[in-house]
Amino acid sequence: MPRTRALAILGLTLLVALVSGATAQQPLAAATRLPVTEATLDNGLRVLVQEDPRNPIVAVQILYRVGSRNERPGATGLAHFLEHLMFKGTPTRGRGEISRLIELNGGRENAYTTKDTTGYFANIVADRLDLILEIEADRMRNLLLDPAEIASERKVVMEERRMRAEDDPDGAVDEAMNSLAFKASPYRWPIIGWMVDIARINPTELRAFYNTYYQPNNAVLIVVGDVKTADVLARVRRHFGAIPRGAAPPPVTAIEPPQTDERRLVMRKDGAQLPVVNIAWHVPNHTSPDAPALELLSTILSEGRASRLYRRLVYEKRMVLGAGGEYSYSSLDPSLFWFYATPLPGQTPEAVEQALMTEVEQLKQEPVPAEELQRARNQIEASFVWQQDSVFSRASVLGRFEMLGSWRLLDDYLPRLRTVTTADLQRVARTYFPADRKNVSILLPAEPAPAPAR
Amino acid sequence: MRSLPALLLALLLAAPALAAAPLAHREILPNGAVLLVAERPAIPIVVVRVSMPGGSVRDPADALGLANLTADSLTRGTARRSGPELDRAIEFVGGSLEADAGRDSATLTLSVLKKDLTLGLDLLAEVLLQPAFPADEVTRRIGEIQAGLRQSEQNPETVAGRALGALVFPGHPYGRPAAGTIESVGKLTRDQVVGFYRLHYRPDGANIVVVGDVTTAEIRQALMQRLSGWTAPATPLPAIPKPLAVVPVESRTITRDLSQTTVMLGRPSIRQDDPDYFPLGMATYVLGGGSASRLYMRVREERGLAYSVYSVIQPGRYGSSSVVGLQTRNDSVTQAVQLVRDEMARIGREPVTAAELDQAKSYLIGSFPLRLDTSGKLARFLGAVEEGGLGLDYPERYKESMARVTVADVQRVAAKYLDPATFESVMVGK
Repeated sequence: MPRTRALAILGLTLLVALVSGATAQQPLAAATRLPVTEATLDNGLRVLVQEDPRNPIVAVQILYRVGSRNERPGATGLAHFLEHLMFKGTPTRGRGEISRLIELNGGRENAYTTKDTTGYFANIVADRLDLILEIEADRMRNLLLDPAEIASERKVVMEERRMRAEDDPDGAVDEAMNSLAFKASPYRWPIIGWMVDIARINPTELRAFYNTYYQPNNAVLIVVGDVKTADVLARVRRHFGAIPRGAAPPPVTAIEPPQTDERRLVMRKDGAQLPVVNIAWHVPNHTSPDAPALELLSTILSEGRASRLYRRLVYEKRMVLGAGGEYSYSSLDPSLFWFYATPLPGQTPEAVEQALMTEVEQLKQEPVPAEELQRARNQIEASFVWQQDSVFSRASVLGRFEMLGSWRLLDDYLPRLRTVTTADLQRVARTYFPADRKNVSILLPAEPAPAPAR
Repeated sequence: MRSLPALLLALLLAAPALAAAPLAHREILPNGAVLLVAERPAIPIVVVRVSMPGGSVRDPADALGLANLTADSLTRGTARRSGPELDRAIEFVGGSLEADAGRDSATLTLSVLKKDLTLGLDLLAEVLLQPAFPADEVTRRIGEIQAGLRQSEQNPETVAGRALGALVFPGHPYGRPAAGTIESVGKLTRDQVVGFYRLHYRPDGANIVVVGDVTTAEIRQALMQRLSGWTAPATPLPAIPKPLAVVPVESRTITRDLSQTTVMLGRPSIRQDDPDYFPLGMATYVLGGGSASRLYMRVREERGLAYSVYSVIQPGRYGSSSVVGLQTRNDSVTQAVQLVRDEMARIGREPVTAAELDQAKSYLIGSFPLRLDTSGKLARFLGAVEEGGLGLDYPERYKESMARVTVADVQRVAAKYLDPATFESVMVGK
């Protein structure tokens, strides 16, 4: 009895929210985005500035259009290795000096490498903006790349690889899945690189890679915070203006051929405690008209406890500890739609794979109820509003879209999602998730020791 | 990617305010709960964080994991709605309502767009005051927690951290595994969960932190309206004993077939109510607090022996620990650990340089605004200040205390609290 009443109340709530989802939220997400000023220096450096005076801080991010996709087999991990070396000094700032200077000024800094991008960021009190600009301009072209520092940092990167891949069963099977699914695309090797390549890469290659990609015309600088746009642009010109434009970096020409077969692998790791089941399909990126539907499918499948995979596999069937389906909307090359699940003790990977496939088939056979589609839209729109809460996440989102071509794509993102229908979701699932052309990777804990012979 | 030690409460609390404006409005509600409100009108979002004395420190000795199970089960159904109905209601508006138990407290956190605040508060109050703890939901959570505990065995840092806790806090609740063990969780019952909830999810000892697009008047009224029936039980909470200040030094090796060894050294330490906490925070930062620290330079930058190497203080409400850790390949463990121990000894033996002290002060004082740059971070900070009994002027006092620290202070507390001979040791690897 109480159950029925609760449902009725919930239904009313849903109705109200459905209406507001279509109307009130549109201006909400848009209204919280502050104006952006864009500029391009003569040397090609792209600059984005957003004023946000709420806190006396500034987020500075410089993104280079280089990641592991710009590497070649035999020299994997170059982009990430170079990222480490960016902290090892220039003629005017010795080893460790960059981090020390930033911390001395109360700032926090770090860096990351992805398949597509290498990014350096600092968050600092707004009146120290100049220090960060000076450092970034300096290391854009003046990196020392001292062979002794390279030798020492090589060992650090190898330690990082041990932690992330060799000793982490989940990391190891993820690497294996990428190599299984991609044949021609550079997405087939790990961002951190293979251990043999990290051990081999020489200073000459690192120097050449640096000279090719660390050029003003291959970079985007984003400044968000308690700043004045005109002042920021003047400072940027002063620090970066004299750097000459470099040669245009070579394009990545590899194209992944269509997959025509099913591919599988099984990995056994001693350290693994629970199995993992991954199923992945090749899908297009944001440039495809189907991208918004794929983005919504990922949210419908994975976001929250009301999401499909949680509700069905974790909650109703009690088969897995966790499950999801991830999509990379903003990947530079087409990537994977990646389902994963961790079977609970007593559940076989075979049964969990079957359960995941049942969910995929259902997406093809039955339209997603309108409530689920609307929930996913509302979740994505709300997360957009939440991203406006810090200068760091504001800068990150602008950078993410600028790397795809223009930060203005950000303004298309939500309107694109709103046009997706339940019929689109069904069509997209049918198009991209063929049962006979999937990639499956299974992680298994070590086999129990054989019983001693009698 | 370069590793930085996890953002710890130690750092969070090591934070002076730049602006003199108070961080939040504070008042005590009629039912005894403390209300803290920070108005941030710019973005239409609201965080409501209710924190109660239901952390794992209050697990009965024969029911380890009970606090964690209780918090985990809180949102799994009320007198009016099932768990899935609650999930659908809050997620439909892109919000979240999550409960979890830490070492000291149980926390229920609502994150919601301003326009959905009414719905969010209705759900929060329902979950807080009328949880049903359905038996099948509790059973389900037990199985999931057990599987999670099993999976955590494949993370060497988690394994090392648990073992270190037992050595640093022998006989104290802080030394026990916060989520329990596979065996202890398997024996927990719904009745125990209900009993734990009744005793610990109480307004006296609770704090409610609200950050976001609200006014104090509006949120006070909205909360009073919904939480008027929330009253303290007659049974007082038992006191938590203090952990031992000095414990026997032991070392433990946990064998795992891994290419790297995870090393963690730890000892009992001090919390913010001890004046020595400020110089110790500075010593800990100079030793291994960031990318300019001595350990980072000597172990990582000069010799390439580790990707991750750090020192931290982990203050809790009832005790504290100092931890120094690293991960290195198996054949360099001896060399790396020796370097770390040498640096720990040196910071107590020789004064830090004036430049190091200046650097530490500039960083610890200057980076404060960065630590409160989101509504969620500010809410956690306010909750921690309240729970620690530190007072809303703590940031100012911290700034003043830090600014006064001398080279001699750093050396004196380092000799006392960073002496490597007093540290427990755990190694996970081959």
